[in-house]
Amino acid sequence: MDMNVTETAEGVTHVALDGRFDIAGAQEVDGRFAEVAEKAKILVIDLSKVSFLASLGVRTLMVSAKTMIRRGAYIAVAGANEGVEKVLRLTGFDELVGLYPDTAAAAAALTSRAKEFESRKS
Amino acid sequence: MRSRDFPGTVEAAADAEAWLASESGALGLAGDTTFAINLCVEELFLNAVKHGHANKATISIWTEPDGARLEFVDDGQAFDPTAAPAKRLQGPGTDFEIGGFGTGLVQKFTRRMTYRRAEGANRLVLEFDAGPNKNPDLRAVSAE
Repeated sequence: MDMNVTETAEGVTHVALDGRFDIAGAQEVDGRFAEVAEKAKILVIDLSKVSFLASLGVRTLMVSAKTMIRRGAYIAVAGANEGVEKVLRLTGFDELVGLYPDTAAAAAALTSRAKEFESRKS
Repeated sequence: MRSRDFPGTVEAAADAEAWLASESGALGLAGDTTFAINLCVEELFLNAVKHGHANKATISIWTEPDGARLEFVDDGQAFDPTAAPAKRLQGPGTDFEIGGFGTGLVQKFTRRMTYRRAEGANRLVLEFDAGPNKNPDLRAVSAE
C-alpha cells in the first residue's frame, strides 16, 4: 500500500493511503504511521483510495489515534468508501476519531477545534 | 463449488483473498459481497494461524439462489467464532486494548454462520447476501 505524507502551510499533516489496508498493507505502513502520529499536531488521513480495510488496518489507525489523542493532537479520517466506513463503525473507531466525507471538511473541522482550544488557553 | 487448500501461514491469506476475488468475479458476486468475503477470510485466516496454530486451511465457495456461501475449514485448535463476543470500542476514551476486532467483523459481515468441529477441524459455513452491487468500484478493485 502506498502512503504519501504532506504538510500544509496551516500545519495540517495529510496522510494519503492508496491500496488495500489488509495484513500486508498494514505491515507496510505501520512504522511510518507511528512516526507521523508522534509528530503531527493536526492529522487528516485520506482513505479515498483505500479499497479494502480489515482488522489489522484498523489496528494501525487505532494505535495512531491513541498516540495522538494522548498527546492532545487532532486526528480525523476522510473519504472512506462504503465498505471501509462500515468496518470503522463496526469496530467503534468512529467513537474515537471523526469520519468526514473529504479531506477539506476534515481539515476545516480539526483546524477550527485546534483554534478554539488555543483561544480558550490564552 | 470451487475449493482450494492454503498453507497455514499469515502470508497465505493474501493468496486466498486473490483467489476469492477471482472466483467472486467468475460467480458474478456484487462488490459488497466480495468485500465481505475478503474481509471474513482475512480475519478467519489470521485467527486460525496466529491463535489456532493451523497448518492448513481449505476454502470453498459457491452460490445458492439466496446468496453466496463460503466454507472455511482449518486444522487448528477448536474455536467457534459464532459464540465469541463481538468487541467494539465504547466511548472516546483512550484506555482500551487494541485488537480482537476480527471475530466481531466476521459476525457482522455475514448473514449467518454455522460452526461445527469434526474430524479434528473447525468447519465454518458463512452465508452472504448477493444483493445489487451498490459500489462498482469495490468489484473493480477486488477483481484486479
